[in-house]
Amino acid sequence: MVLPPAFINVRVRSAETPDVHVPLPLFLLWPLLLVLALLALLFTLLADFVLLLAGARYHRFSLLLLHSLRLLADVRGTSARINRNRKLVDIEIH
Amino acid sequence: MGEERKRILEMLADGKITPADAETLLDALGSAEEPSTAPAPGASWPKGPSASGAPKFMYVKVTGKDTVDVKVPLSLLRAGLKLTSLIPSQAMDEINRSMSEHGMSIDFNNLKPEDIEEIITSLREMEVNVQAANGDNVRVFCA
Repeated sequence: MVLPPAFINVRVRSAETPDVHVPLPLFLLWPLLLVLALLALLFTLLADFVLLLAGARYHRFSLLLLHSLRLLADVRGTSARINRNRKLVDIEIH
Repeated sequence: MGEERKRILEMLADGKITPADAETLLDALGSAEEPSTAPAPGASWPKGPSASGAPKFMYVKVTGKDTVDVKVPLSLLRAGLKLTSLIPSQAMDEINRSMSEHGMSIDFNNLKPEDIEEIITSLREMEVNVQAANGDNVRVFCA
């Protein structure tokens, strides 16, 4: 099971000013995400079932939702470093 | 003050270089120097495409006056490509049309899930190198 990102680390470093390090705890949003995902999954399962009974060609909204969540989880490992005007901004998603 | 910076100022004071030369040198030094406490951006990142194996990340490196390094996991690309096969055909047609309008004529309907791994492995051999007129250099590669 691949978990969604737990932290976003933002670091600002400069020779002139003190270093700033802000770890944003995304894992605190996990319970909210879980509730929303379960509600959405319930809705999509119902929609898929109705579409299947109605003979619709497309009835894969539940899979689409699950793959979208997987896409969100795969954001882990993304990082960006910007060095501008002797200031270094480092953003990492863990 | 850094040793190089001090030497440039001494050369200026001695009249060995003009103020314009000194400014150019100091600018060049400024863009090359990092903040004292910071490691070099992307210091631990690969310098180019990996020689073997499936690549794990896509790197975008912009060098010039400013430096930007972006690292994107290829698993994100893999998940995104898999997602395209699940998008309803009407929405997919709309996406293809919109992308075509913006100069990207890619038909994702033709993309099969079994081709995704091959595409990602092939990315190892890809390297985009753009040298801008203003001296900025953009490199995109996978490793």
